[in-house]
Amino acid sequence: MENKPLSPHIQIYKWHISSLVSISHRITGIINILAITLICFWFALILLGESNYEIIKLFLQTFVGKFILIGITWSFSFQMLSEIRHLIMDLGYGFDLQTSKITGLLVIFGSLILTILIYLIGRGLN
Amino acid sequence: MIPATKKWLFLKVSSLILLPLMFWFIINLVNIYDKNHQDIVEFLTSQPSKFLISLFLVFAYFFSALSISEVFEDYIQDEKIKNAANKALNFFAIIIPIITIFVIFNLNT
Repeated sequence: MENKPLSPHIQIYKWHISSLVSISHRITGIINILAITLICFWFALILLGESNYEIIKLFLQTFVGKFILIGITWSFSFQMLSEIRHLIMDLGYGFDLQTSKITGLLVIFGSLILTILIYLIGRGLN
Repeated sequence: MIPATKKWLFLKVSSLILLPLMFWFIINLVNIYDKNHQDIVEFLTSQPSKFLISLFLVFAYFFSALSISEVFEDYIQDEKIKNAANKALNFFAIIIPIITIFVIFNLNT
């Protein structure tokens, strides 16, 4: 369809929890696929040998490296919880304003708690 | 079934499959990121890691291609640019997992 109207620019509307979760869902989705692509390059470096791998290992052990890893963990956590919210809404639940606001807050704060849990479980594995 | 319904179903089914795979992958990423070369090679070449990572990559890129194309649909008006962006997206969504799976299956301990 020609001249199809685009989605309104996000700065036009007053921010609500639902709109914040919705735009964050899209942003974290893009961050996740970029992160997964970088991890794919990391796997390729592993195939090329130990010396190539050491550069990445040294970077990941720095403060910035750890910050990026925790950021990716949060982004994955947010995406997972937000996707569960979407799937529940697809079943026809959680559309009224109050419920939508509560589930949105659950996604935001739950993603922070899930990040900590994933980090603790991940570091506890051997 | 109209293409839009088919696309929506593919999105929902792939997201349902992707959820446990994402959880498994991120926990293991946190676990291995500072391990030495040998430990990571052992993790990547062991079963079920090899199988689960391959499955995760296929579904992650499939899901992302479908959902990013929705973003293109919402924000790109020019049909030519939108088609080019979708073609590039689909190309990378196929080629990156294939290469990575090939790498993983060619790693030796």
